[in-house]
Amino acid sequence: MASAPTANGGSSLAEYDLILKLAQHLDRHMIFPLLEFSAGQLVDEESGEIKDEAKAREITQSKFSLLKKTNMTDYVANLYCELEGLKEPPTEFADRRQKVFGQLEKYEQETSKIIELLERDDVVNNLRSDKVANLEFLKRDHDVTIEMVNALFDFGNLQYSCGNYADASEMLYRFRVLSTDNDKVSYATWGRLACEILTMNWESALEEIQKVRELIDSKLAQNPLAQLEHRTALLHWALFPLFNFEKAREPILDLFFNAGYINTIQASCPWVLRYLAVAVITNRSRAKNPGMHQKQMKDVVRIVKQEAYEYQDPITRFVHALCIDFDFEEAQRQLVLAEEVLRSDFFLLAHADDFVESARHLIFESYCKIHARISLKDLSARLGLSAEAAEKWIVNLIRDTRLDAKIDYKEGTVVMNHPPSSVYQQVIEKTKGGFFRTQVLTAAIAK
Amino acid sequence: MSRFFHGGGDSSSESSSDEEELYSTSDEEEQAEEQESSEEGEKEDSSDDEAGPAKKGLSRFLLDQASSESEGESDVEATAKVKSAKDKRFDELDATITIIQNGQKINDWGSIANEFDKLNRQVAKLQDGGKAPKAYIKCITQLEDFLNESLAKQKVTPKKMNATNARGLNAVKQKIKKNNKDYQAQIDLFRKDSDAFMESDDEEVPPPPPAKVKLQMPTEEAGEDEDKGFARVDKRGKAIPFSPESIQKHLRAILESRGRKNTDRQEQIKIMEELNKVAATPYLKIRVLQTLVSARFDLGSGTTNVMPVEHWKAAERELAALLELLEANKDHVVLENVEEWDDDDKVPVLGPDDKYIKVAGSVVSYIERLDDELTRSLQAIDPHTSEYIERLTDETSLYNIILQGLLYYETIRKDASLEVPQESLNRVIQRRLDHIYFKPAQVVKILEENSWKNVTSGIDSETTPRALSGDAGQLIHVLCNYLFEHSEGIIRARAMLCQIYFLALHDDYYKARDMMLTSHLQENIANFDVATQILYNRTLVQVGLCAFRKGLVYDAQNTLQDICGSGRQKELLAQGVMMQRYNQVSPEQERLEKQRQLPFHMHINLELLECVYLTCSMLLEIPLLAQTGSSPDIKKRVISKTYRRMLEYHERQIFTGPPENTRDHVMQASKALAAGEWKKATHFIHSIKIWELMPGAEDIKTMLAKQIQEEGLRTYLFTYAPFYDTLAVETLSTMFELESPKVSAVISKMISHEELAAALDQVTETVIFRKGVELSRLQSLALTLSDKASALIETNERTLELRTQGSANAFSRKDGRGGGQRGGGQRGGRGGARGGAHHGQRQAGGTQFTGGALGAAVRG
Repeated sequence: MASAPTANGGSSLAEYDLILKLAQHLDRHMIFPLLEFSAGQLVDEESGEIKDEAKAREITQSKFSLLKKTNMTDYVANLYCELEGLKEPPTEFADRRQKVFGQLEKYEQETSKIIELLERDDVVNNLRSDKVANLEFLKRDHDVTIEMVNALFDFGNLQYSCGNYADASEMLYRFRVLSTDNDKVSYATWGRLACEILTMNWESALEEIQKVRELIDSKLAQNPLAQLEHRTALLHWALFPLFNFEKAREPILDLFFNAGYINTIQASCPWVLRYLAVAVITNRSRAKNPGMHQKQMKDVVRIVKQEAYEYQDPITRFVHALCIDFDFEEAQRQLVLAEEVLRSDFFLLAHADDFVESARHLIFESYCKIHARISLKDLSARLGLSAEAAEKWIVNLIRDTRLDAKIDYKEGTVVMNHPPSSVYQQVIEKTKGGFFRTQVLTAAIAK
Repeated sequence: MSRFFHGGGDSSSESSSDEEELYSTSDEEEQAEEQESSEEGEKEDSSDDEAGPAKKGLSRFLLDQASSESEGESDVEATAKVKSAKDKRFDELDATITIIQNGQKINDWGSIANEFDKLNRQVAKLQDGGKAPKAYIKCITQLEDFLNESLAKQKVTPKKMNATNARGLNAVKQKIKKNNKDYQAQIDLFRKDSDAFMESDDEEVPPPPPAKVKLQMPTEEAGEDEDKGFARVDKRGKAIPFSPESIQKHLRAILESRGRKNTDRQEQIKIMEELNKVAATPYLKIRVLQTLVSARFDLGSGTTNVMPVEHWKAAERELAALLELLEANKDHVVLENVEEWDDDDKVPVLGPDDKYIKVAGSVVSYIERLDDELTRSLQAIDPHTSEYIERLTDETSLYNIILQGLLYYETIRKDASLEVPQESLNRVIQRRLDHIYFKPAQVVKILEENSWKNVTSGIDSETTPRALSGDAGQLIHVLCNYLFEHSEGIIRARAMLCQIYFLALHDDYYKARDMMLTSHLQENIANFDVATQILYNRTLVQVGLCAFRKGLVYDAQNTLQDICGSGRQKELLAQGVMMQRYNQVSPEQERLEKQRQLPFHMHINLELLECVYLTCSMLLEIPLLAQTGSSPDIKKRVISKTYRRMLEYHERQIFTGPPENTRDHVMQASKALAAGEWKKATHFIHSIKIWELMPGAEDIKTMLAKQIQEEGLRTYLFTYAPFYDTLAVETLSTMFELESPKVSAVISKMISHEELAAALDQVTETVIFRKGVELSRLQSLALTLSDKASALIETNERTLELRTQGSANAFSRKDGRGGGQRGGGQRGGRGGARGGAHHGQRQAGGTQFTGGALGAAVRG
């Protein structure tokens, strides 16, 4: 669908561009922002000039072929003009436009009655949670036929295709309330998710994600292949809220770390690991539950290790170097590369600084864990900071994290103090919960 | 009617006692003939041609002489008993025949019907080699004539028969038609010339023992010119006209005698070979070839005996001919779901509406049978002889047949109207896959090229185009994919395993592993048949070996653990029967197990397997042993019980000589490694000869050396940490000949995983060991106790959870439980499994294939 961003010269970034891989699992409407973004990247920030004509043209071309099949006729016509250098779009676009309008009108008529009904309070108040009964009720009292309900679905579909995401979402919502057709309901749920994402309505997008997830788990349990495909799609779609909506992070990370989805990432789309790794690393400071974060980090490390043969990019290599090989120099090198990659990624652009900061933190943390004495000079090199800035940074860090470390200024070193965990403490830790758990047990037995 | 009533005239010079003796000897020989049918059959076949009758006459004469002269009285006496029993039956037969004849005279159909039944029963006992006594033939022929006569009469005269008579008539009418079909050849003969037929009877009765002919032919000249009477004589096949018209009747007769006792298969095959020459139309040819191939397969039936090689080859040729015939005559198809053609007198012709002449039969079954027979024959041959290799070359021709069969099925599947079941095609493809999956790509390539040479150049396969033959990997991929899409159940699982096996064999570890994990086979392999379970085990081993070649010691050990840890590799891989099993196996089971054995050329080298397994175990176990040291929970973490046992045994030895076998080498290497002498360990491991059998032996040795260096470093640190305060990285680096960043990395890893209580000093480049970390005995006991206490609580919670069927979710603590459960499952599996049928059960316990989370996730 979208043409490949050409690897001009030895551009290392192009090699890590995931747009092609992502596009396979996204809806065409969702690919569009990605293409916009790549086009935006080509524009020189100061002069506003386009750096690479050929490539820009290519992107426009792919935009055109992307949207050709949709019903956003006006925009497509414009794109066509731009591509061919025409002033007036050919008449075929006008024809299509007419046709689309005709269809819209037709559906509008077909659905007007049911929409009207659904807006009436007396009708809505009579609806119950039982869909079959609802339909019966509407059939009996208001002459609603199943065709009318299905028309809602088609109308929603058409709206979506025309780019009226908000309306489409509304239609599909109504359809879902009434329809008993399981397949169509699941389509509608997907459709709504797409609409919410495209209208950046993250809260409801989250809800839809949850719904889709349930659908996948329940309906497709018998069909592992379809389940895999659906999960892959969901993972990709969920990237939008994951990086754009702060509150979505926890639940979506939860989703990603669910066994079934981790498995999906490993089986069919290892490139999602990049996003997962970035999300987890940057989540460090935000995580309410440090234990949770540690566990997620461990999971990420494990998967990165397992998938190293299949997928690698600077971000995963950074994780690999830091947490598996303990090669701090390599980690530092990869971090520099990773920053570049992040800055050219649609989803991660906004998180680049955050990531670099958190990554430094991570390096320092594991460095301190292993070393008893570190030379400041060396450390500043590792963190990619000047000696003075590094010192400041470390002081801040020591203060923030309450690390047991001191700076020996004369020697120019940081001295760590690793208190050995006492055996007594360990025994206490291990037996702490015992009493409570036993109590719960007895209570449960007594019940 | 005496059996010899004509014979008397023939050999008047012989006395009656001689006659009796003659009869008895011949009788004895008949029995012998039955027993050693194959030998004699061939002999007779060879002497069956023109000269046959004359020779037979002569030899019969010689035999008489021999038996009366050389063999003494005792012989006669010994056979006397047999004679009387048989003679009595003949007498009974005669009596019955007389009654029937009387019945015919008075038109008493009731008694005829009864006697006819009796007659048939008697004849069944008297038949030898499918031949009925002549008197019987005469009787039934006459009876048939009479029957037709009376039927005709009845039509003309409206006079009513009485009820008994009418019933009898009808009964005989129905029976005789069916019955006479069996003896059609003889009846025809009789009709032609009844006198000659009855006369021939006598000549034919005593078939000469071939051994004696050979012996005595040179000594006794054919003094008396054998009279013409013998020359006229016809024996079995010859007199029976092999005309295209009679082919179907012959075939039916043969088919009906199939599976019965006393049928001479060799003889039938002979007949059919003749028929094949005569058969003119494709239809008849197909029919003959089908029956012929089936008959050949019958030779190898039974549980013990193997189909003779020459017959296998003949069957192979005939099957090829059949396939060629089908290829050349596209309007003839052989299908399973067609009704048999019942009319023996006519040949089905192409109707105006029909596109095909359909013949009932199953090409795929023939192919499968041919394949199975080859396997059986290979099982029976000693693999270290040249005979085995010779026999193995037949695989190529078999592969040709499979390929042609595949092409045939593809052609007929194109026509939807034929309703060829998908399954047939699947079966052929599966067979093809079975022949290539375990072979290296180059071998497959040669095999493929050779078989395509035999296919006419215009023809190409849809599923596996000719162009694909050059690329074995691609070919396997296509074949397997086809089966994934079009089949289910066992065939699908087998296809998957075959592909994994092939991938693993060609060092595509990750792909193989991923497929293995996503196949979900480790959960339900127990539900499959034993052959598939064996294939699963083989695949598992192959994946393990592949991991080892890749240097993934942990994965390799983990994968091989299931098979090698059990100590029953031979049995699990079907490469040998376990010897000592407390006599719990019934002969039946043992036979089954023998049947399952793989032919030698498919074997995985068990010694190599053991070597790999032990080496991996060593690399994992030695650092672990050093780490756990003398702490009380030493028993807790055992990676390989087998290895531990061997190590203990080795350590118990008072004197250890230089290593002799693989196991010794690994054990001594382990000892050296444990002492920190990595160079010595490397030397021991490198001097194992069997590495040469692996592709890229040098790389593997280098890889192992590297692993030993690292593990040596770790072991050294674990073992000697308590004796050091600080240790320079530089020193370690020279000691283990590793670069210092590498040493630092290893140490960092150990520190980070909290395996080593130490810290690095970056400024001085040293390792500082923390003091006061070693626990006193009391402290470690306290720790163990607290561990056990929490384990107890956990078990309690789990028990309750089980009792309340998961409603008490409050206790769910998913993490950190896997290990315990897993170990338990494995132990249970090992204890419970016994006997060949339990393969799967053991597998179920060991689902932790390659350990990773992927495994857990897939299972979840």
